[in-house]
Amino acid sequence: MRMTLAVAVLLALLPLGLPPYAMTLLTEALIMALFAMSLDLMVGYARLISFGHAAAYGLGAYTCGNILLHTDIPLPFAVLIAGVFSGIVAIGVAWVCTLATGVSFSMLTLAFAQLLYAVAFKWTSVTGASDGLAGIPRTKGPFGTAFFGTKMGFYYLTMACLFGSFLFARAVVRSPFGAVLRGIRENEAKTLSLGYNTRLYKIAVVAMSYMLGGLAGALYAPFAGFANTELLFWLLSGQVLIMVIVGGTGTLVGPILGAVFFLLVQQQLSTYTDSWALVFGAIFILFVLFAPEGILGLARRRRAH
Amino acid sequence: MPLLELQGLTKRYGGILAVDQVTMAVEPGEVRAVIGPNGAGKTSLFHLITGVVKATEGDVLFDGQRVTAMPAFGRCQLGMSRTFQITALFPEMSARENTSLAAQARDKQRWRPLGGGSVFAEAQRRGDAALERLGLTHVAHRPAGLLSHGDQRLLEVAMALAQQPRLLLMDEPTQGLSVEETAQAVDVLAGLFAAGDLTVLLVEHDMEVVFRLAEKITVLHRGAVIADGDPETVKADATVQSAYLGGYA
Repeated sequence: MRMTLAVAVLLALLPLGLPPYAMTLLTEALIMALFAMSLDLMVGYARLISFGHAAAYGLGAYTCGNILLHTDIPLPFAVLIAGVFSGIVAIGVAWVCTLATGVSFSMLTLAFAQLLYAVAFKWTSVTGASDGLAGIPRTKGPFGTAFFGTKMGFYYLTMACLFGSFLFARAVVRSPFGAVLRGIRENEAKTLSLGYNTRLYKIAVVAMSYMLGGLAGALYAPFAGFANTELLFWLLSGQVLIMVIVGGTGTLVGPILGAVFFLLVQQQLSTYTDSWALVFGAIFILFVLFAPEGILGLARRRRAH
Repeated sequence: MPLLELQGLTKRYGGILAVDQVTMAVEPGEVRAVIGPNGAGKTSLFHLITGVVKATEGDVLFDGQRVTAMPAFGRCQLGMSRTFQITALFPEMSARENTSLAAQARDKQRWRPLGGGSVFAEAQRRGDAALERLGLTHVAHRPAGLLSHGDQRLLEVAMALAQQPRLLLMDEPTQGLSVEETAQAVDVLAGLFAAGDLTVLLVEHDMEVVFRLAEKITVLHRGAVIADGDPETVKADATVQSAYLGGYA
């Protein structure tokens, strides 16, 4: 708790000393961090590997984009609504995907994300097809304030979403519900035989994961000012899974570090080469081989020595 | 009224008749064993009772309620707790976390996604009591996967006990144990059953174990019941001797 507070204070003070360009990068990092953390709920705690988490992100982004383009709902509320919407859709998705387990489950999540990707190309009136949604505004409010539309205000909004989601997710994994998730992770058949309807627990955690992932996507739309089909593409699903694994699964904090690390590497390497993904691929392989517990695991190992 | 009643229970896999018209009952407070040679249908019968597979014909009644179509987790919620033939635990959790998670399944707020300190406290209390009853308190904090094989088997029983079951179902409780481990486990189980507060149905092929633990025995052969009664009667039964015991008694 003290650590969380210290990081929150540090992040809250950063805007005072950082140039605008760095602020933009930091905001994007926090959005990605939220996205990766949301996936960790499924992957790290229930061993439900999603290959289609971009579905949550894209759903949140398009929903929030449409709300901001067509209504006067204040920015923070639009973001929240989009996140909740993504979570509600996920109940249906998870209901189908949890008919399968293991790799088949993963393939179904991928199939669903690709389905949304295809729909986004065709449903022009809602998604703008291949042009995407452009010129997504940052609406005023609540109470008429324009603060959340400013660079600094939007940063604080993002930070609040990340910390709120982190505290929520941490409470969930430490709750009785979270204990059942760990049971599912270690031995689902046994958990079922103890009298837990494991499928309902899985659907619930997927919904929570999509809700927080949708929140991240909902922040991205007004952050970038646009939403396009790339936000639903499998490439993003793969990248976020890599962030989770490199950061350390089943820790919530690890994937946050993983996302920041990923963006930093991308930022630094892409100035030298277009093939930065090749280098990150190598980093990923090294982590899987030599530090499967991720960045956070490495840090903890060092501290233990 | 019997706690568990099977009425003409039948399971067919294609052309193979695994369980054939089995009718039997388990009275409250009774320790009953189902025995039979390999392939007699013991495990199939066990799956039908726990709800892992669905019956082709016939009914399973628990406390007078028909549960034939109820899924496994539903039957567990009614008070049927089971152990597995091949030890099934949460290997990375401590023994204590294993029993606590088992006990939590009986709490109405077992699914609570936020808070839940009182749920954990109650589950741990019940779990610890079960660990103590099986003499596992000294390994409570060790990861379940690192316990000796004998202790792992007993931990599984402790998990079932932590649920305060009305019916305890055990699938070959000494499967895979060495001779010494089997003797120790049987001693612990005999002590447990002696308290008389449990209703137990166990499936077992080790005759010595069965005659040590069971008060009543049902004998299966080729999926059908060929004898039913107390150990002495069953031992003396001519059909049983020719079908199975092969001169053991």
